[in-house]
Amino acid sequence: MEGNPKTYFVFNERSILISYNCPTNSKLISNISNTKKRIVTHMNDCIVDIVQSINSILVIFDRTKISADDLIKKLKRIEDTEDDLSKYNKIWQIPVCYDFKYAVDLENLAKEKKLSPSEIINIHKSKIYDVLSMGFLPGFMYMGFTDEKLHCERKEIPSLNIKKGSIGIALNQTCIYSQDSPGGWHIIGISPLDFFDLKSKNPCFAKPGDKIQFIEISSKKYQQMKKENSVKPIYK
Amino acid sequence: MIKVIQPGLFTTIQDGGRHGYRNIGIPTSGFMDEESAWAANKIVNNKKNESLFEITLTGPTLAFNGNYVISITGGDFNPLINKLPVKMYQPINVKLGDTLKLNNTINGARCYIAVSGGLKVKSIFGSKAFFSNITDSYFLKKNDEIKVSKKSKNKILKWDRFNFKLNRSIEVFKGPEFDLLSSNSKNKLFKNEFTISTNNRMAYNLVEKLQVGTKSIISSPVLPGSVQLTPSGKMIILHRDCQTTGGYPRILQLNISSLNYLSQLKSTDKIKLRLINL
Repeated sequence: MEGNPKTYFVFNERSILISYNCPTNSKLISNISNTKKRIVTHMNDCIVDIVQSINSILVIFDRTKISADDLIKKLKRIEDTEDDLSKYNKIWQIPVCYDFKYAVDLENLAKEKKLSPSEIINIHKSKIYDVLSMGFLPGFMYMGFTDEKLHCERKEIPSLNIKKGSIGIALNQTCIYSQDSPGGWHIIGISPLDFFDLKSKNPCFAKPGDKIQFIEISSKKYQQMKKENSVKPIYK
Repeated sequence: MIKVIQPGLFTTIQDGGRHGYRNIGIPTSGFMDEESAWAANKIVNNKKNESLFEITLTGPTLAFNGNYVISITGGDFNPLINKLPVKMYQPINVKLGDTLKLNNTINGARCYIAVSGGLKVKSIFGSKAFFSNITDSYFLKKNDEIKVSKKSKNKILKWDRFNFKLNRSIEVFKGPEFDLLSSNSKNKLFKNEFTISTNNRMAYNLVEKLQVGTKSIISSPVLPGSVQLTPSGKMIILHRDCQTTGGYPRILQLNISSLNYLSQLKSTDKIKLRLINL
């Protein structure tokens, strides 16, 4: 992404933060995820860990292999021009049951937004989202950006027990809870898929930079898929 | 094999941590006080990031079901083997049937027990470090049995002299959002003392508040040692088990040595921050 203002900030003795000072949109997400891939490919030997977020990349490096100054020089050389790397970013189709039984905050949110529950569902599922970043819990996905009609604050009082697979919305984003957890997002549905598999070498099928499309399923279908247990996510 | 007779307050197994998974939200974990843990491992000729026991505030009682060489470093928990005091920071030969008891801390908040050969527990995503929802347990329980990887040959040739230092200052770099602070807050940060409030492996909270009403930022990467400022003015120093991203402004960043030192402090202890340049 030529011409985009970027800063290289030495975060601590082992980390460089690359910040993008430009509007956060789908294009930026895809550029950041391409840059991240390029850094991993070209500099794997001196990188310990790397975290991609909505408008920045954190690079944690091995101090015994490279200095911060040399790393910044190398990072600057990795041009983040748009290229066909984005074709490797998959679009995952995620089945979601929006039944009130699981969508515990749907009714309240609908009232708050002066929309009907089915309008909220339709707006939510009509868009393809970018996986912006992962965090909070292993495999917890932040996705964006939601339609303006769905923008909302987090709940004032967080729920103590949100079920694994729950789909939430807050701010301009939507999320998936990869495990049972407390949390403050408005829960509007649930997916039967496993979003974090401890036993797998590749514990999360989706990665920041991938895209997510929600496919509505019935409560019956949800229970059936949940029982089958081995339902694999599909991608286009 | 080593059997847990009493687990103590919060005894875990740690190593150099889980690297390469922060992008999918898995914390690094690992030794809270890296310096003390590395010393413990070096004394028994282990690799510096080998797995060992991390003890917090109140120590465990461990029974040895074999002959091993161990070392104890970090905070002083008045260690006793078969009720007799043993020296820290040197190799100790323990025999089958021996019992090691660590008491309440005398100084420091954490100590480390390394066993020559390392501990034989399941490695998940490249690390044996305990973490909730990743490893089977988050802390050791009574009657847990931990195997030792290699039986020691009892051949400890030499070891470097290490020592344990408290009373250091907490050195910090400016964080990415340092400039969201008012000049009054900046003055306060480096003039005043701060008191440690509740703390654990994820974060150390501070009692004294800073400016109120600082807006959240777009959810961004954080690190152990990042100092976050909440809208209510509360400061949180993230530690080894912290989440990988956060939405509070990152006003400061502890250097690694200060992060190690912080893990030896406990509630009500006072700290002073000192701004340094990288």
